[in-house]
Amino acid sequence: MTVATAAALTAIAVWTWAVVAWCRRRPWGDGGQRFFRHPGATRGMVVLVFLATVALCAPLVTAFAPYQQILALQDHPPSWLHPLGTDFLGRDVWSRFAYGARVSLGVGTLGMLVAVTLGGLVGAAAGYFRGWTDTLLMRGVDIGLSIPRIFLVLAGIALWGKLGLAALIMLLGFTGWFTTSRIVRAEVMSVRERPYTDAVRALGARPWWIVLRHVLPNSAASLIVSAALGIGNMMLLEAGLSFLGAGIQPPHPSWGNMIADGRDQLGTAPWTTLFPGLAIALAVMALNATGDALRDALDPRARGV
Amino acid sequence: MNPALAVSRRAVAWLPVALLAFTGCGGRGGCTNEYCGTVVFAASAEPTSLLPAVSTMAGERDVFDQIFLKLAQIGPDGATFGDSSFTPELARSWEWTDPLTLTFHLDPRARWQDGPPVTAADVAFTFDAYRDTLVGSQDRTALDHIASVAATDSETVIFKFRDRYPEMFYDATYHMRILPAHLLRDVPRATWQTAPFGRAPVGAGPYRLTSWTPGQSIELAADSAYFLGRPHLRRLIWRIAGNLNNSVTMVLSGEADAVEVLVTPANIAKAKADTALALYPYAGSTYNFVRFNMRANGDRSKPHPLFADPQMRRALVLGADRPQMVEAVFSGHAKIPPGPMPQLWSWLWRSKLTPAPFDTLEAARLLRGRHPSFHLAVPSSSPTRMQYAQLLQEQYRRLGVTVVIDQVDNATFQQLLESGKFDATLESIQTDPTPSSSVAALWGRTGPTNWGHYANDRFDALVRTASAALTRDAAQAAWESAFDALAQDPPCIILYALDNIAAVNHRVADVRIQPDSWWGLVRTWRIPPNQLIERDRAGR
Amino acid sequence: MRAWLLRRIAAGLAIVFVTVSLTFVAVHLAPGRPFLPPDERPLNPEVVARLQHRFGLDQPLGVQYVRYFGALARGEMGESFSKRRPVAQLIAGAVPNTLLLTFAALVIDFTLGILIGLFQAARARRRSDVALANVTLFFYSLPTFWLALVLQLVCGLWLGWFPTAGTTDPALHASLPLLGRLGDRLYHLVLPALTLGLVGAGGTARFQRAALLEALGHDYVRTARAKGLAEPAVLVRHAWRDALLPVISLAGVALPFLLTGAVLIETVFSWPGLGKLATDAISARDYPLVLGTTLLATCAVVLGSLIADLLTAAADPRVRLTA
Repeated sequence: MTVATAAALTAIAVWTWAVVAWCRRRPWGDGGQRFFRHPGATRGMVVLVFLATVALCAPLVTAFAPYQQILALQDHPPSWLHPLGTDFLGRDVWSRFAYGARVSLGVGTLGMLVAVTLGGLVGAAAGYFRGWTDTLLMRGVDIGLSIPRIFLVLAGIALWGKLGLAALIMLLGFTGWFTTSRIVRAEVMSVRERPYTDAVRALGARPWWIVLRHVLPNSAASLIVSAALGIGNMMLLEAGLSFLGAGIQPPHPSWGNMIADGRDQLGTAPWTTLFPGLAIALAVMALNATGDALRDALDPRARGV
Repeated sequence: MNPALAVSRRAVAWLPVALLAFTGCGGRGGCTNEYCGTVVFAASAEPTSLLPAVSTMAGERDVFDQIFLKLAQIGPDGATFGDSSFTPELARSWEWTDPLTLTFHLDPRARWQDGPPVTAADVAFTFDAYRDTLVGSQDRTALDHIASVAATDSETVIFKFRDRYPEMFYDATYHMRILPAHLLRDVPRATWQTAPFGRAPVGAGPYRLTSWTPGQSIELAADSAYFLGRPHLRRLIWRIAGNLNNSVTMVLSGEADAVEVLVTPANIAKAKADTALALYPYAGSTYNFVRFNMRANGDRSKPHPLFADPQMRRALVLGADRPQMVEAVFSGHAKIPPGPMPQLWSWLWRSKLTPAPFDTLEAARLLRGRHPSFHLAVPSSSPTRMQYAQLLQEQYRRLGVTVVIDQVDNATFQQLLESGKFDATLESIQTDPTPSSSVAALWGRTGPTNWGHYANDRFDALVRTASAALTRDAAQAAWESAFDALAQDPPCIILYALDNIAAVNHRVADVRIQPDSWWGLVRTWRIPPNQLIERDRAGR
Repeated sequence: MRAWLLRRIAAGLAIVFVTVSLTFVAVHLAPGRPFLPPDERPLNPEVVARLQHRFGLDQPLGVQYVRYFGALARGEMGESFSKRRPVAQLIAGAVPNTLLLTFAALVIDFTLGILIGLFQAARARRRSDVALANVTLFFYSLPTFWLALVLQLVCGLWLGWFPTAGTTDPALHASLPLLGRLGDRLYHLVLPALTLGLVGAGGTARFQRAALLEALGHDYVRTARAKGLAEPAVLVRHAWRDALLPVISLAGVALPFLLTGAVLIETVFSWPGLGKLATDAISARDYPLVLGTTLLATCAVVLGSLIADLLTAAADPRVRLTA
């Protein structure tokens, strides 16, 4: 670690503190209070803001390129220059960690965006139109849910042959929307019965307009919560895929393929797997805590849980 | 890890089982003599069929070489020329009646494990089966030079060859395991691939199959009446680990006694530190290389935009720092071959051939300021090749060459090769004890596995000369010129040939490893009575 | 009730049929081909052609599809390409192993999870609750295979407490007495089941705690308290009964999770179960085996959700199963 990276890291820490403190002080109203009353919310936010900033500012906080190999320094334990040590190719684990955060968080978030969009649309369509549309879509969802997801993804990877980053994100998204669609469908069904929907319909609005403009925003709360929880799942799945040799392509680092790369040296060079493993756990923990807190904030019914 | 801990952890590990075993039946002391040993091998992959004629993998050969015999066994020096270094197995003796006629006299003591004697008719039947296209044997073409095999009486069998060449005896004996005609005659040839015999084989070798639990283990038991001497090890068990990592873990934890290769320096270091294990280095039979596609990616009718140019290929060969990569990945436990060859062909290594140097200046000159970019396909199942791909990618980046690594699964990799949809691939090849089969198959113009469509007439002619050379010296000189011709117009970057290192538990004595068939000599291993553990004493 | 059951079964069968059909098309479209050289000896193209003919892969896809379902209707699942055995036999061999692992993991998962959840609910918002909440969340958030690797290294390799691979010790198992064989099996089960169970328990505990706290807020619980019942009795006898329901339905949902988690665990611990069979089949493009395992997994999940519904109905008289 150089002085510059140390300074950058300190700056990120201060920035994280500032962002979280600012959020806490903002008068968000009831929801905000409920959000921060959740025991894990503040800590979850700190972790997420910190990791996201590190990911975004990866070039600033690292002294080495993530793929730069210093072959004289293979499997070197943590030192001042390499704060998290080096891996089996003499690459700086901290650099890979920081750039890996981009990939892991990015894949999780984008994959979830795809999943939420798809799940939201399918769920809304099924819930709003009912009838055969509903039956057809929901039986499809049943099928999707009935196959263990990792098989779906592995089969998808086999179908794709060579898997780029975009393909992986799509794949994770396409296999991750089933639960979301069920949640949204239930929500839409209940919203559909409310008087104002009837009122809008009576005013002559088209069905899709009603769904987009009135029904979806009302189910936003449950969507956001399921998305927060889903990102964690995506990250875990990506890590599992990398472990099976089917994840992110080298030399791009991801926390998952860092663990897979270091599994041989788990006993002899634990730093190569320990940090990405803990990072995944921490990030997923933070996402879960934030998701729970969001549920408290957005859904007064579930308060006190 | 410190030795005291290493010993105690095993004691602890087996304590519960041992306790239960003894409380259940205190009286069963089990086997305690010279012929008790049980050796557990960690196997990375599970065999599909133990019928040698349809087998395609080395892991199967490990097992069925204990069950089936050849006419004669290749000698410890691995020489494939003439017949002087071969040792008798099913054949007691042999003679050349004329330069094209070889007569074997079978050992009258040899019996099939279900009773009947092994006869010359079995040998003739075996040859017929190996040559039958319905059977689809991997070794069918290796027997092309043999015109016929006929039995004259029950103990005499005559091989007639089409032409004269130095490895006639090797071809007659190395490829075929003699099969029992009385059990296989009525099995339709087209169904051999899936025949139940492959799961319940009967041979004439020192061990017979006693159980096979799919996905878990295969157990063989010694035949105490084996005609070439009773094997010392009573039981051989293969445990299916699924991959190399798991195999090594099993051996380190004492759950298995032997693994045939350690591959990575991390594994070698762990095994070295384990006082319960002894390491046995032997010449490896694989070499690894980057293959260039001479034809356009996905279109065999057009030349490849980059690799049709020999200068480009030479530049890439010179631009790879292979000594550094071998050091980085294997810490010296692999060598850079001077030609397309594994360490197994040790006689070729003692030649004046040298690997191409690492010369970035010359590479830059040959590149003439071009900044090419190509895809390198690597199977995701091989961590070492993935490591090499990343090293190459980084080295070429500094030369201004962009390498895009395509990590694909094995099935896709194989299809890319066959369909020619690749720029370059990182491959590993396992060879026979002789260069004459694999070199032509891989790099010859008409070779069945010449996936890159490399064509070099001078090289092909030199390979033909080398394969027909009647003495070892002549052959060596001819192979040297052939490999030299190949180096001038390289079809590949030859990266490394592994030093194979086997790890075997210390309690096993007289461990000898046969480079071309690792566990081929297991019948001579033994476990001294004072070294027996619960595993050896356990009786069936 | 009967109409409901019939409808569910019909829907289940339809789901199975569509899933297997989709898988059929998907595996045949996938790049890569079966009959791979299993190691580094290249296969002669002639041998591959022979094998493709032997297994009918030289036929048009439609013919293969009709043939497959025809055979399936007769109860035949075909022969595995890569293991050269009947698919049914391979699956029959793997199912007990997966069931054993899944069952053991579920037992650990729910025992630990429910107990921790109860304990936490009893001490809600106190320090021990918060600490446990962090611990359970941590386990819930761990990549399973990472925990497996660590447990394997520490408890298996370093401490030598438990075996690192397989379901039994093949060298000893057959010669052990019945009790010993049972012990051997349980002994090999410890690490894989513990890994899966711990990760699952994290989720179950969180779920149980939440359900309990919600139940504690209900009127009848307040009534029970008002009657002067001791707090533990209120918690266990009243709130817990109510809060068990969602946890039971979680078991049905947990099944696919356990099967998924089991894929990676089975790889790490060389556990010859369904997950490993399926991943091996996918990577070998072993079409009949992929289809066979898909068929089974789908059936298991369909059945699992059916059973969960039935259990919920049995536990809660308010739930009516109507068609």
